[in-house]
Amino acid sequence: MMLLEHHAKELLAQVGVPVPEGILVTDSKAAHFAFPCIAKAQVPVGGRGKAGGILKINTVADAQPIIERILGLTIRHHPVRACRLEALVDESAEAYFSLAFDADTGTIRILMAAEGGVDIESPEMRAKLLQVSAAPTEDAAQAAVETLLPSLPPAMRAAMREAAVRLIPLFFAREAVLIEINPLFILADGGWIAGDAKIITDDNALPRQPELRALIELYPTLYPEAALKLAQGFDFVRLDPDGDIGLVTTGAGLSMQLVDEIIQRGHRPFNFCDIRTGGFKGDPSRLIQVLKWVASGPKVRSILMNFFAGNTDLAELVPLILQALEAVPQLRQPITLRMTGNGLDAARKILAASGNPIHVETDLERAVDRALADAKESQNG
Amino acid sequence: MADAFLAHDIPVLVQGATGRSGRSQTAQMVAYGTNIVAGVSRRDDPEVKIPLFKTCAEAVRETGAKASVVFVPPLDVLAAINEAIEAGIELIVTVAEGMPVHDALKAKTATREAGVRWVGASTPGLAIPGKMKMGFLPNVSLSPGGLGVMSKSGTLSYEVCYRLVERGFGQTLWVGVGGDSVKGTRFADVIPFFAADPATTGIVIVGEIGGSEEEELADALIASRCTKPVFALLAGRSALEGVTMGHAGALISANIGTIETKTAALRKVGAQVLPSIKALVEAVSTTLAP
Repeated sequence: MMLLEHHAKELLAQVGVPVPEGILVTDSKAAHFAFPCIAKAQVPVGGRGKAGGILKINTVADAQPIIERILGLTIRHHPVRACRLEALVDESAEAYFSLAFDADTGTIRILMAAEGGVDIESPEMRAKLLQVSAAPTEDAAQAAVETLLPSLPPAMRAAMREAAVRLIPLFFAREAVLIEINPLFILADGGWIAGDAKIITDDNALPRQPELRALIELYPTLYPEAALKLAQGFDFVRLDPDGDIGLVTTGAGLSMQLVDEIIQRGHRPFNFCDIRTGGFKGDPSRLIQVLKWVASGPKVRSILMNFFAGNTDLAELVPLILQALEAVPQLRQPITLRMTGNGLDAARKILAASGNPIHVETDLERAVDRALADAKESQNG
Repeated sequence: MADAFLAHDIPVLVQGATGRSGRSQTAQMVAYGTNIVAGVSRRDDPEVKIPLFKTCAEAVRETGAKASVVFVPPLDVLAAINEAIEAGIELIVTVAEGMPVHDALKAKTATREAGVRWVGASTPGLAIPGKMKMGFLPNVSLSPGGLGVMSKSGTLSYEVCYRLVERGFGQTLWVGVGGDSVKGTRFADVIPFFAADPATTGIVIVGEIGGSEEEELADALIASRCTKPVFALLAGRSALEGVTMGHAGALISANIGTIETKTAALRKVGAQVLPSIKALVEAVSTTLAP
């Protein structure tokens, strides 16, 4: 999970990293802060500045309209639900520091540069990055940092060493996947301050990371996917509020592929979903939850369910689907159920006996054809 | 050839052989023909039909097991891997979903230092169809044949192989490498086996966004002078930036691991990157004889 900048900076401040003073606001009227300041959209993607998500607020009178404008944005599919108001930092040198995994070699990669900023991805900037890999331990990472410092301008070395001393233990303690400080402002007096902060943490470690868990539980609307996964153990991502196809699918890869193929065919999936039938354990509540969500899509005109029962049993699944449909009467859209694998014949019999008019296909291509045709038909009709 | 990656009759023990999932999966692996010689569990389970031992070391000593498939909860996987290494196991397959990435990093270091092959963190396992499987690749998708298959995604590979099998195309060896970012065996690690194996006539890659494995795989094809046809499906073209799409590894950030970079790298070395499952099945059917 990518932490929002505000929460990343709170985490940094706890371990003694200097960050500009800032507050999180979700409502333009509640903004009590010292002006001038910077208002920054809190979304887990880059390019916020270019999207108009980072603006200066000069006076208290400007605050409300500017914050409202930012809160009204959607940046790379992420609706802006919160804004960080942050104190200005004096003009200073912009350096770069990051810690990440090198997944290939199983090492920690440390990157530093005397010049950071928004163009760090450009080939010219990347060419200037100093980098070193270290065994995945704190000591090895600290030692590796020392090998890079002599290549930095002397005025930056103390600040960068200090950054490493703060960030490396944090990386291990919070089980981070990435910590990136860009820009890392180097102040005239040799001090430093984290201008922006990107921290990616490991969702799989949440069971033993109470602090990160608490953050998600406190801000479920800011981390909707992580909150869902934490509370209910499955994945559901709203992709397109105007989507016409609701998906009730299992398996991350197959579900992603279905989303891709439906888009290629000119339709708009409302959601991504990996419902994990293995976790049902005879309880329809996950299905009920997902059906409620897809039924709530204002433009959803057709539902596609896909279950490939390689290791599960369709005869156990179908009764749960029937119970769930009964519990969500507001779902009126036509449903195509693609199922194949273990227990198919028994599952068909259960469906037939129920009298439910749900349409069954065993072939995925035919099921997608049918679901898209249903969407088109209801749009025309 | 599959034997170059693992011997089809390699003696296998199951860590976490008791309990609902371990028990039923063990029975299914035995039924498929896997040479399961032992189970390891702290507790007894009268319903488990194979010899049970309290520790890996004991199981290895008594049965000569050389491989382990691990069915323990995600936070216990690292300890299980360390125990298997200590006991002298040569191949470890871990299937639990949700192993923390810092644990995976420790496991990667430990297995590499010990010279142990690790397939994981989270994978449906591997199979030499018709002979053995470690893990739970579904039987309906398995059939002996000429395709070397590697997959990041369980479900998508089940669907792809199911449809290929319907068209008469089975597999020599299928390795689920898993959707984690830090993993034991990466796509590129398996290429030399497929390249060298005379029975493998084509290679199917079920990849997805995130990481750089597909890009490395392209380099590995060149390095191993592999001229066999390669068919790739890459899921996640429309994934949202900044959101984990089910798999921990499927997170796009800052233009690394996008469909565009992967497609370009694979096409450059002559691989076919197909836009849909149907297109992949058609491409295999028109390029290879069943």
